Amino acid sequence: MSTVTRTRRTDDNRASASAAISMHEVVKSFGRVRALDGLDLEVDRGEVHGFLGPNGAGKSTTIRILLGILRHNAGTVRLLGEDPWSKAVPLHRRLAYVPGDVELWPGLTGGEAIDLFARLRGGVDRRRRDELIERFDLDPRKKGRTYSKGNRQKVALISALASDVELLLLDEPTAGLDPLMEAVFQDCIREAKDAGRTVLLSSHILAQVEALADRVSIIRSGRIVETGTLSELRHLSRTTIAVGLEHDAPALSEMTGVHDLVREGSRLHFSADTAQLPRIMRALGEHDVESLTATPPTLEQLLLRHYGKEES
Amino acid sequence: MNLLAAHTDDGDRPIHGGGPTAPRSSRHRGAHEREGAGRLGEGNLAGLGHLLRFMLRRDRLWLPIWVLALSALTAYFANAIAVVMDSDSLQAMTAFAKNPVMALITGPGYGLDQVTVPRFIVGMYGVFLMIGAALMSILTVSRHTRAEEQTGRAELVRASVTGRHTQLIAALVLTVFMNLLLAAGMAAAFGFSQAEPDSWSATVLFAVGIGAVGCVFAAVTAVTVQLSAFARAASSMAGAVLALSFVLRGIGDMSHVSGGSLDWLSWFSPLGWAPQTAPFTLDRWWPLLYSAGLFAVLVVVAVVLQSRRDLGAGIVAERLGRSQAGLLLSTPPSLALRLQASSLIWWSLSMLVMGVVFGSFTGPMDEGAAGMPPEILSIMGGRSGIVDGYLGYMALYFAIIVAAYAVIAAGGLRSEESAFHTEPVLAAAVSRAGWLVSWAVVTLFGAGWLLAMAGLGEGVGAAVSMDDWSLLWPALLGHLAQAPSIWALLGFA
Repeated sequence: MSTVTRTRRTDDNRASASAAISMHEVVKSFGRVRALDGLDLEVDRGEVHGFLGPNGAGKSTTIRILLGILRHNAGTVRLLGEDPWSKAVPLHRRLAYVPGDVELWPGLTGGEAIDLFARLRGGVDRRRRDELIERFDLDPRKKGRTYSKGNRQKVALISALASDVELLLLDEPTAGLDPLMEAVFQDCIREAKDAGRTVLLSSHILAQVEALADRVSIIRSGRIVETGTLSELRHLSRTTIAVGLEHDAPALSEMTGVHDLVREGSRLHFSADTAQLPRIMRALGEHDVESLTATPPTLEQLLLRHYGKEES
Repeated sequence: MNLLAAHTDDGDRPIHGGGPTAPRSSRHRGAHEREGAGRLGEGNLAGLGHLLRFMLRRDRLWLPIWVLALSALTAYFANAIAVVMDSDSLQAMTAFAKNPVMALITGPGYGLDQVTVPRFIVGMYGVFLMIGAALMSILTVSRHTRAEEQTGRAELVRASVTGRHTQLIAALVLTVFMNLLLAAGMAAAFGFSQAEPDSWSATVLFAVGIGAVGCVFAAVTAVTVQLSAFARAASSMAGAVLALSFVLRGIGDMSHVSGGSLDWLSWFSPLGWAPQTAPFTLDRWWPLLYSAGLFAVLVVVAVVLQSRRDLGAGIVAERLGRSQAGLLLSTPPSLALRLQASSLIWWSLSMLVMGVVFGSFTGPMDEGAAGMPPEILSIMGGRSGIVDGYLGYMALYFAIIVAAYAVIAAGGLRSEESAFHTEPVLAAAVSRAGWLVSWAVVTLFGAGWLLAMAGLGEGVGAAVSMDDWSLLWPALLGHLAQAPSIWALLGFA
């Protein structure tokens, strides 16, 4: 697993100069609780980067450090080439943020909240704002206290997407949105990517990450345990294979990369290291294969492997 | 669709006049940064104008209600006293007002030897208006700073182009503005009242003194909101500072009136400076310099503390709680107790301390009574009568404070409900009535307990100062006797 991470960081210095986000050995403690424990994260400019991990793994803490509203205890953090704590204001002009749990002022309408954030940024693209309100089907005249969770989320999404920025930091941005709005959101992120924006997308919705992300980082207990493109990550895990075979294939059980071999009538079930697949297929070719199904690992399986694993 | 479409800039310009919106990926260091530069550092005040206007928009009801209510209260005091009091009754009241216990409550009593209606109003009612202004400032600052962080709304604001200290400074500017309006309103209300003050400058001095108290407590709150992660706790801390200031000033002024040696204590209380301006008597402005100085120091402390902490965090880190519910946490009443426990503990401590402090005045009271003319003494029930009367009066005083606790605690049930904490409780096999009753019962016993604490403190203080331990029981019982009236009030709440 570390091979992927390492190749990504061969020319470290040159990469961090151009990277949108670059964090090295970042530590953040809250009292005695260690939220981030030597975290390394690289996000290139112009990519959509999926940020996955179980609850409490440190996703939101990472994003808040990037926003310069939390101060990290050790390590280096560069956001668009600058220090997010000391250069918070100039950096915020170049980024937008959507939290997973949006709170609005009970007495203010959604439209007013959107405009406040736009004005703080120094101007509003009214056409773009209205267009997004239309697309997300939000009634901007309702007061904050009457909005449901999904609608509060839309307010933050609209004000982030309407702003003309280089980087979007999204922390479970679609929590509470219905599937229709989820589709609108995915369209908007694709447009943002086409416009050359960088997106850090923390999410629990795996289909969303699979559809949008160029690369994925998996965080666990305050460390990044895996980084790479989805196909790279798949390569490191196992494909589930079911073969219909008349005769036994004794060689198979002794091959490296074959696991959990079970015979069920005329069918063999096993999981294979994806890296060993070509060899295993050649070995199978010597037998009379009647049927074959191969299921690539889902992102879910990838994650469960990491989520369930105890720290070594 | 082109996300990079040029800005149709029909939105508001930043009021500091930043240049046209910069193209993507340019560094864009505009007027914002330069303006925020200086002591507060680069960009730390970005977005101040927008945030201020936004706060005014949020406070479009809150602000006028506070200012008008306190100004109306001033108008009421001024007109009522002027209409009700003729010069004879004014003289009679003044004899009562010069009593040390009244000095404890109202102030140093400047100009009461040759009393006029304006002097009487300033001396007797000024302190209540100061407390009003202080409460207004405490609640306003905490509402715009820590409450915003606690709900998570500040995160969205800070993630936007807003400096680290913008919210704090905007809240302070707003509160100072409120106090200015308040001073203007009070000066007008007093100046045009039936009291007919003969000097406008003294009227303005009185009003500005009250506003100054408000500003100092705005700065006190600016510091306390940095310390605690919770708005309610931050307001309570500022409230505790207010209570302490009141007690310090009370002891100092009491000593001042009875010729004691502790009158310097008044000069260590933010509530002490404004009365020292003695409007209509000495008309001196310089005590307000202390207010201005403390205000400046506290604001700097608040800014320094804020630049050292994370958003949403207090200076003191949250400890880990227990992972399993204890045996005690299994029934609705015990949950209600657990939720009210921390405030109950703080209230108990302060009741005990205040009880001891006020109880220990019994000795000086008794000595003061010895020096009174016999005819007044006999009206007040003789020397022992004064002691009993004082303890009885204090019992009532504490009952009012504890009643405030009961009402606030009952209000806590409502805020639990609006924060959706009630839903899971009711969903878990607890009836609505059961939850309400549990909460009320806990508050009921809590109020009784607090009275007992106050009575105990009072009794111990009195017993020590009088060297007479037989005072302990009557003091305790006298306080507990107030419990039913608080419970009745709780019923309404």
